[in-house]
Amino acid sequence: MLKHRARILAVDAGGTMTDTFIVDELGRFVVGKAQTTPENESIGLIKSAEDALCQWDTTTKEAFPHIVAGIYSGTTMLNRLLSRQGLRVGVIVSKGQEDYFLLERGVQTYLGFSYADRLHVVTHHHNDPIVPGRRVRGVFGRIDVFGEEVLPLQEGDARDMVRQLLDEGIEALCVCLLHSYRNPSHEQRIDQIAGELMDERGMNIPVFLSSEYYPVRNDFPRLNTTVIEAYAAQPSRAQLQLVTKRFRECNGKFETRVMASHGGTVGIDTKELARTLISGPIGGVLGARYLARAIGSDDVVCTDIGGTSFDLALVTGGDYAVKPYPDLARFLLCIPMIQIDSVGAGTGSFLRINPGSGRIEIGPDSAGARIGVCWPEGEVTTPTITDCSVALGILDPDYFLGGEIKLDRDRALAAIKDQLADPLHIDVYKAAEGIIELFEENLKGYVASAVLSKGYAPSNYVLLSYGGGGPVHVAGYTKGLDFQDILVPAWAAGFSAYGCACGDFEYRYEATTDLPVPPGSDDDWKVALCTMLNMHCEGLKAKIVAEFEKTTHGSESIEYKTFFRIQYMGQLNDLEIRSPSDRLETARDLDDLLQSFEETYGRVYARAAKSPELGFAITQAIVTGRVDVEKPRLPDETPAGPTPPEAAFKGERKVYWKGEWRIARILDMEALESGNIVEGLAIMESPATTFVIPPGATAELDSHRLFHLRFHQNERDH
Amino acid sequence: MSDVKSKLGTDKLPIGWNGRTLLQMLEDSERAFEETGRYCGIEALALMESDPIGYEKTFAKLRGGLVNARETAMNISASPIVKEIGELCFAFYTPEGDSVALSTGIIVHVHTMSDAIKFMIRKGYEQNPGIAPGDIFTNNDPVIGNVHNADVQTFVPIFWEGELIGWAGGVTHVIDIGAATPGSVPVGPTSRYEDGLQLTALKVGEDDTLHRDHELRCELGVRTPWYWKLDERTRIAGCHMIRDAVERIISEEGVNTFKQFMRDVIEEGRRTFLNRLKELTIPGRYEAPTFNGVPFKDEPRLPQHAQVDNLMHALMVVSIEAGGELELSMDGASPWGYHSFNCTPSAMQGAIWVLLSQTVVPNDKVNDGAYLATRSFFPPGSWTNPQNNSVSTGAAWGFLIPAFTGLYRILGRAFWARGFHEEVMASYGMTMNGMQGGGIDHLGKPCSILNFEISTVGGGACAVKDGLDYAAAMWNPEGDMADVEIWEILEPLIYLGRRIKPNTAGPGKYRGGSGFESLRMVWKTNDLEMQNAGEGLTFSAPGLFGGYPAAAGYRHNVHETDLLKQARANKPYPVREYDPEHSELSALTEGRHLFDKKTTTFPYPFRQGDLYLSWLRGGGGLGDPLERDPQQVTKDVNQDFLLPRYAHKVYGVKLLKNDDGSYSVDDEGTVALRKEIRKKRANRSIPVRTYIKGERQRIQEGNFIEPIRKSYNSCMALCSKWAKYYREFWDLPSDFTFSVGDES
Repeated sequence: MLKHRARILAVDAGGTMTDTFIVDELGRFVVGKAQTTPENESIGLIKSAEDALCQWDTTTKEAFPHIVAGIYSGTTMLNRLLSRQGLRVGVIVSKGQEDYFLLERGVQTYLGFSYADRLHVVTHHHNDPIVPGRRVRGVFGRIDVFGEEVLPLQEGDARDMVRQLLDEGIEALCVCLLHSYRNPSHEQRIDQIAGELMDERGMNIPVFLSSEYYPVRNDFPRLNTTVIEAYAAQPSRAQLQLVTKRFRECNGKFETRVMASHGGTVGIDTKELARTLISGPIGGVLGARYLARAIGSDDVVCTDIGGTSFDLALVTGGDYAVKPYPDLARFLLCIPMIQIDSVGAGTGSFLRINPGSGRIEIGPDSAGARIGVCWPEGEVTTPTITDCSVALGILDPDYFLGGEIKLDRDRALAAIKDQLADPLHIDVYKAAEGIIELFEENLKGYVASAVLSKGYAPSNYVLLSYGGGGPVHVAGYTKGLDFQDILVPAWAAGFSAYGCACGDFEYRYEATTDLPVPPGSDDDWKVALCTMLNMHCEGLKAKIVAEFEKTTHGSESIEYKTFFRIQYMGQLNDLEIRSPSDRLETARDLDDLLQSFEETYGRVYARAAKSPELGFAITQAIVTGRVDVEKPRLPDETPAGPTPPEAAFKGERKVYWKGEWRIARILDMEALESGNIVEGLAIMESPATTFVIPPGATAELDSHRLFHLRFHQNERDH
Repeated sequence: MSDVKSKLGTDKLPIGWNGRTLLQMLEDSERAFEETGRYCGIEALALMESDPIGYEKTFAKLRGGLVNARETAMNISASPIVKEIGELCFAFYTPEGDSVALSTGIIVHVHTMSDAIKFMIRKGYEQNPGIAPGDIFTNNDPVIGNVHNADVQTFVPIFWEGELIGWAGGVTHVIDIGAATPGSVPVGPTSRYEDGLQLTALKVGEDDTLHRDHELRCELGVRTPWYWKLDERTRIAGCHMIRDAVERIISEEGVNTFKQFMRDVIEEGRRTFLNRLKELTIPGRYEAPTFNGVPFKDEPRLPQHAQVDNLMHALMVVSIEAGGELELSMDGASPWGYHSFNCTPSAMQGAIWVLLSQTVVPNDKVNDGAYLATRSFFPPGSWTNPQNNSVSTGAAWGFLIPAFTGLYRILGRAFWARGFHEEVMASYGMTMNGMQGGGIDHLGKPCSILNFEISTVGGGACAVKDGLDYAAAMWNPEGDMADVEIWEILEPLIYLGRRIKPNTAGPGKYRGGSGFESLRMVWKTNDLEMQNAGEGLTFSAPGLFGGYPAAAGYRHNVHETDLLKQARANKPYPVREYDPEHSELSALTEGRHLFDKKTTTFPYPFRQGDLYLSWLRGGGGLGDPLERDPQQVTKDVNQDFLLPRYAHKVYGVKLLKNDDGSYSVDDEGTVALRKEIRKKRANRSIPVRTYIKGERQRIQEGNFIEPIRKSYNSCMALCSKWAKYYREFWDLPSDFTFSVGDES
């Protein structure tokens, strides 16, 4: 066997376990695990890498010198926020706004709630403030919506307020004043004052100005984001530096990058580190885009089923939609984030009959890692989707996580019978099968509406399914939707970590522009607009250059993309539009940009909603800049013919399918060879996932180890 | 879509199912309900019973389509009321106009839209103006089906192979409706003819396109045509998305299955409601009265006959039967009046609906079945059912909101009795002050203002925890106040502050949710008219089980201030009122202070630098304040929810002031103080018999202010049943009335 030469290292540091994913030059990979060590993450991380590399009979010292790319993603920052264990932050706001963290926004009292609980007002509740009232101070002074000074900053007052906060022993100072995205002068002056006061005291704590970090409109999300930058992200800087140091000690010369929510990876010295707060689900989307591109498609529906949720994202024309104001952990934020819709429907979702209506309810809560009733150690008493899969023979109770965990099928059956089948007066297997169908039907609904609400049809897209539960249900939630292709990577379970390694080295910056294009604007105005927009873009490019100059890449080979957020004049919602030209020069260029906005608008909101007679407003300029980095190579195996090798057959199992017991062939996913075609009904197993091929469908493994799921014509028409 | 008609081939009548007209369908359905008590006479829920899972699948698809339509379409609107606050809602109806499923949002309108569809059917719209694929209808008339004109509805019929399969309906609250005063909830009209644009169930489009004449009429009929236009497009786009979703479902499930599904879902909704009420409550007769002041005596801009001080009376009686049947009666309600707070029965139904969906049936399966499971009585001639098309209903919410706190208190007792303590809530807060007005904005454009911070007032105290602070409205559980930076785009008023308002919450063992106050300074305009709208004279959010009501109200605006001058001279300026008895606003600004109990006013002029205080109300308390955990009281003081002196006075908590200015509890002092208060209470107490005797004497002597005497007289004159009940309760002569000076 060929000696492996590790090229890429991707790390996913979760709350309990740290996974590492190491790829060699042929695209082969190995996964390692170790316990997360929150006080010094580098310890767990190196252990995890050792665990991976020992499977290739090598060590970190031996392998690390060959590694060219290291990508980190983790949940420690998020956990710090959730457990309210961040820095001791002091906050300065406009006078009169000191109650921000108590008032919040009404919407934060029910963010992430199910439909029923959103109506059920007695369940709504506020968050614990991340900064207590005594560390929030207001300063006299106001800027208006145009950026004009209404009331001057009262410097003596500002000085007192900063002094009081320093007396509170704060570890970081955040400043977020109203309309500072339009005019940062008051914030900047407070920064100077804070600097002077700290000099007097011979101390130095970091100061975070909202106008410098996240200069976009919407005061509350901007405040949240700026504070989270100080509260939760700042402590991670030191951790990341420790991680890099350990890599160096192991002779690694590569640059460590972190996955950011906008879909690129950024250097650990990046200024806005809170952009890396959300990284887990992002990886999958990047991996999906990368794979789809490899087989010649730029339009992908990414679907990920885990124990608690179903995550869905769309890549259209190579770009994913970016949400400028996402929410996370019940906080409204203004970090651009790949739009990933998450619904509380996973393999661990609880199943119940509503006692009032006698109707079935799936979730929204779930057993999560406790799997279901079938796992006695989990002490779950309410059946889950996984219980149904086990009951029907779809999942092998003796081969869950490769047999690491033994499941009890009889327990699952008993619970389904008592709690679901009997109250519905139907047979236990019919109930289990029906519920899985309902679950998959719901998912199909989400997939269909995500595509249709963009104004496209499934036939425009390739669908990719991953996550532990994705391949179990993919046939169910795609059948009849007529996607171009349905792909399941053979490494579906570890896909998110893989995806992180597929991320570009890319920065993204936004600037609020708020420029009007009134109806009947003449060419002179349009040219003037182009000049102003270019100025904004140049400013953003300078920020990107500054970031890359901190890295080994420098600023020579940066590839830029320009986007604008545009709306009909007066609207509150805008759409992000890729600029048709790199640099806007002429009135014609601006018209082309507006034309592209109108096309997208008509597609998303129906043609009847177009309102060009109101004029347009260009609200934001956005520039992304990327440089080439090494990404995992896709495996490229020589086709071995359609018939799977004998070694791939693990045996047969009875599976309940469409109201009857049928014999399903069981195959070992990892033993299949490129070119193999598997006819349904068949079940492919790997330690971390199970891929179900229904009757009337086939799965073909291509040379990149991607399965293509195909329905026979008569099945598809159903 | 110009070929919709030809594609679906439907130009011929009738368009109902099985060759019936819509009117026949409606009559058949009503007859069947009348005869059997079940929706369309359905006995067995055949679809649900034979294929419970398939049934669920279809429901999931339909509801998904509605939620998606709302979430997508709301982005079209320019109005923060729609986009940020979420004041819109979509629903799908049967051909007869019964709602099958709905999105989230202002679901008060699910039933009002149902009334509008039924109206069109009864008036023969099938023949004239005709109902065809691609048509667009609109309505905002409260007499037909609405709460007030500002809630504008759009309907799109959905056809399948020549038959009308159902209706998509959408509603948004618009920023201005062209009423006598700017803003969308005109306080001031005395008749319907001042309530603004009247869209009396009109056909306004064909082939999926609006008629130009309708668009022009609306653009010229409201003060903010650009918002109007985008709101209308929001509703239409949403309805078209629903149509797409329904057509998809039918093509997958088959039209006959879908038709049966629609019937079953409603009947099932009815049965579920009954089961749910049976499960949650103890049967019985529950009563809860509420009052609300109408202080227009000295308002020179009103016609003479409308210049009166009045008191609205709302006695809500709910009877719950053993089978879960609920009947709500408003017998005893005041007559309608020359003001804009009158309601139509449609609005009353809407209010019942919205509150039940937040309490009894908060789930995604709610529909008109719940409506069919309840009965109601609104006395003809009362404010709840004027029976007179000329009355104004422009600010119908003004009475609805206080009156329906009764339903929360009633349900609270019924839940408590059954043991569902976690579900109990005292009165929600009034969604007031309504900060409303218009003029020229900071961009030099005409503007109309209604600040929707009112959708985040305090909730009622619960039996296991405090009420929800500043985060919901009775008409929209998903409340939000939106960002300061968003309101400042729209309104020529700077936020000087947005702070918690102490003492707004009703005290109790569990206090009500708190309100907050926004202090606004007029900026970059000298041409603005603003009004205050909210109750200030009565406690319209009463407590429960010994809890105190939430604070009433007052006004404090300042004209011709020196604020800009002071602030520019580096002097402190006010950012809140805080304690009205020691007002920061008074202490820090010179000017003409309007500081009084006039909380419902006409619009009056404001100039740059003038100050407008808008404070949002709290919810009612629950239980005896003396039972509140002293630590919680201290926390309330430290976070500005409670003024320190009231910790002592109301809660019997002795506070100690710490060096840093915060407070902590003096445990021993508190025990002693509470003992003392209880002793005082005991000393003051009298036997109930004596109390009743004293009150009876007060009634006999008519020892109340005139508006109260008049109000009771008018209620007795209007509702003979209630008059008898009142007179018998107080043991009064059967012809008793209060003597009123100028009334014969």
